[in-house]
Amino acid sequence: MHPVTPPTAGSPAGPSFRTLAAPRRRILRGVVAAVVAAPLMFGAAACGDDGAAPGDGKVTLSIFWWGGEGRAKLTEDALALYTKKNPNVTFEKTFQANQGYFDKLATLTAGGNPPDIFQIDDNYLAEYAGRSTVLDLTSYKDSGKLDVSKFPKSLLEYGIVDGKLAGVAAGENTQGLVYNKTLLTKHGLPEPTTGMSWEEHIAWAEQVTKKTKVPGTQDPSADYKALWVWLRQQGKDLYKGKDLGFDEADVTRWFELWKGARDRGATPTPDVIHEGNSSDITKQLVVTGKSATSWVWVNQMPDLKKNTSDDLGVVAYPGDPSAQWARASMYWSVFKGSKNRDAAVDVINFLANDPEAVALLGTDRGLPSNMDLRAKVSETVTDPAMKQSIAVETELAATFGPSPQVPIKGHSKVKSELVKAAENAQYGRATPAEAAKQFLAACKSAIA
Amino acid sequence: MALTTAPGRTGPTRSARPHASRRGAGRDRHGEGLAGYVFLSPWLIGLMGVTAIPMLLSLYLSFTNYDILTPLSEVQWVGLANYERMFTADPSYWHAVRVTLTFALVAVPLKLAAALGVALLLNRAWRGVGLFRGLFYLPSLLGGSVALAIVWVNMFNRDGAFNSFLAIFGIEGLPWVNDPEWALETLMLLAIWQFGAPMVIFLAGLKQVPSELYEAASVDGAGRVSQFWHVTLPMLSPVIFFNLVLETINGFQGFTAAFVLSNGTGGPVDSTLMYTLKLYISGFTDLEMGYASAMAWVFLIVIALITTVFFSTGRFWVHYSDGER
Repeated sequence: MHPVTPPTAGSPAGPSFRTLAAPRRRILRGVVAAVVAAPLMFGAAACGDDGAAPGDGKVTLSIFWWGGEGRAKLTEDALALYTKKNPNVTFEKTFQANQGYFDKLATLTAGGNPPDIFQIDDNYLAEYAGRSTVLDLTSYKDSGKLDVSKFPKSLLEYGIVDGKLAGVAAGENTQGLVYNKTLLTKHGLPEPTTGMSWEEHIAWAEQVTKKTKVPGTQDPSADYKALWVWLRQQGKDLYKGKDLGFDEADVTRWFELWKGARDRGATPTPDVIHEGNSSDITKQLVVTGKSATSWVWVNQMPDLKKNTSDDLGVVAYPGDPSAQWARASMYWSVFKGSKNRDAAVDVINFLANDPEAVALLGTDRGLPSNMDLRAKVSETVTDPAMKQSIAVETELAATFGPSPQVPIKGHSKVKSELVKAAENAQYGRATPAEAAKQFLAACKSAIA
Repeated sequence: MALTTAPGRTGPTRSARPHASRRGAGRDRHGEGLAGYVFLSPWLIGLMGVTAIPMLLSLYLSFTNYDILTPLSEVQWVGLANYERMFTADPSYWHAVRVTLTFALVAVPLKLAAALGVALLLNRAWRGVGLFRGLFYLPSLLGGSVALAIVWVNMFNRDGAFNSFLAIFGIEGLPWVNDPEWALETLMLLAIWQFGAPMVIFLAGLKQVPSELYEAASVDGAGRVSQFWHVTLPMLSPVIFFNLVLETINGFQGFTAAFVLSNGTGGPVDSTLMYTLKLYISGFTDLEMGYASAMAWVFLIVIALITTVFFSTGRFWVHYSDGER
């Protein structure tokens, strides 16, 4: 049979093919050139727009955050209020679940199309600030356009990276140990209290396991925030300057502490611990009924409560509570290349300091950063779980220690390496010392 | 134009054509060529914009320290540093290679065996065979779907459906997906279970085997097994080859199920850290896109090599019925 017929089928074959080849190649070259050039031209045109100020004073700000429907509703209401007061400013709002949020934000940034205003947390703040993606808000703070005078000092400082104010706390939270009150009451067991030592906590958890058949406490050895508090209680820290604030011996002791707890039956089996190591709130063991406690953030209480019919309580992590600090649960940051920086900063200022806006937002992103307004919001809150988390955090605020530095570049990898090392120890695939050694080696290459 | 004339056959026409008309034909053909490219342009622009240019860019990025957030113009050339790190300084890279090889070496042959076995069964003229073909094909329609992976995770939990089934026989199951020793095997099972696509292709191949061959074989005294080895398998070898190449590439690229099962971490303890997942984590979680690009290029080259090996060994075992190879 014949091979596939060439496109010039109808024409006689022979010498003419040779003469044809040239123009065809030229066309191909032209097409390739056009295709290559097109994005460049469009790109250039788009760049040209950047400098031009909008003539009619109308400003559209893009804003991007993670969270659920509830948060979206609150945020949209607050932004609508801003537009009502500043009719020339409108918003392009985008939100999505936490999983994949930072992938999207990074991709938008890479595509040269990042949002003017975006939500970010301490896991990524240093990554973004260190690469000059984020606008330094110091000058706005100094000129008073961004009012942070009512913020707790440590909360403000927790937004400073390398001397630059990279983010404004959208809310405050701190570590919280959430426990299943219903279960404890049913079995006549005491509730955990703030200030219990780690040993006391583990002994308590062992009792809970024995009496209730529900493992007493989720093993938090894979949880960076628990390790962090524990390190601060030992006079260490997670980071120190551009380096780690702890050594192999510290981590070994941490892993051994929890190996002991597992051996005593205070914790669930490794596969259940692994389930609870997910950051997903619906998988926390205290709401799935697979453990009597979960190690979370205080402001996650209301969300946890939505996933269980049991009563929940919350206290500080074990040990000296002054190791905990006023942590920015998340920040609002402004993209450095935004054409409307001033307007964007004004929106952030509004979200933090406008009494109506703060009342609308409530404690969804943590306790309001503005202390005056926090007091007002606390009075009006009706949700019992939210009330409880505010009460506990206000109580802890009295003993808060100074803020640590914002986690450094490479932190997300340090976090995932901790999970890996801790799980290796949990599944019995490594001794605490081996796991600690593996973790330290991985950390060093992560932050290098 | 001589559109009706079969090209290249009629010698006299070639020489008989006057020069002028040949030029005219050239102009027309020129127009046709242009029209061809115009009609091709959606595909061509897509190929260039979505595939070729980004691919070349990623090749360039693999020699840089690109981290997504830094503008491309400020990216620094680091030479072979990414490749060096991959091969010498990143143990989790080699771990991912091992996981992926294990996955492909076990899951692909088993999947093809399952597909062929079921295709042989369904190649008979039973009542309701169409229904069974549909049912067996169904899982692969759901393909790399996220929903399916979620179902899988819930089935193979400590308190999942599979363990409830084992409990009937008094067997206490393991926490399959949450057990570092078994998580990858659970993923393999998911991949094998989705054997529908190769099965349909095998079925089509089986229908092509001329029945005379079987008749001739049985006249010569060949039994069922012997017929399978000496008639079915050789006649089917082009289809086996096709499925093997496609499924191997698919196997190496497995991502969705591992991602969903481990919440994007490759856990528990990196047991499901497939190559593509490692690449994704490096690029998007750790923001090391230059490094991830280097991994992607090594991956591309390795898959190309494996495919080349298949094609070059194919001539020893793939038989085409028309005698060509």
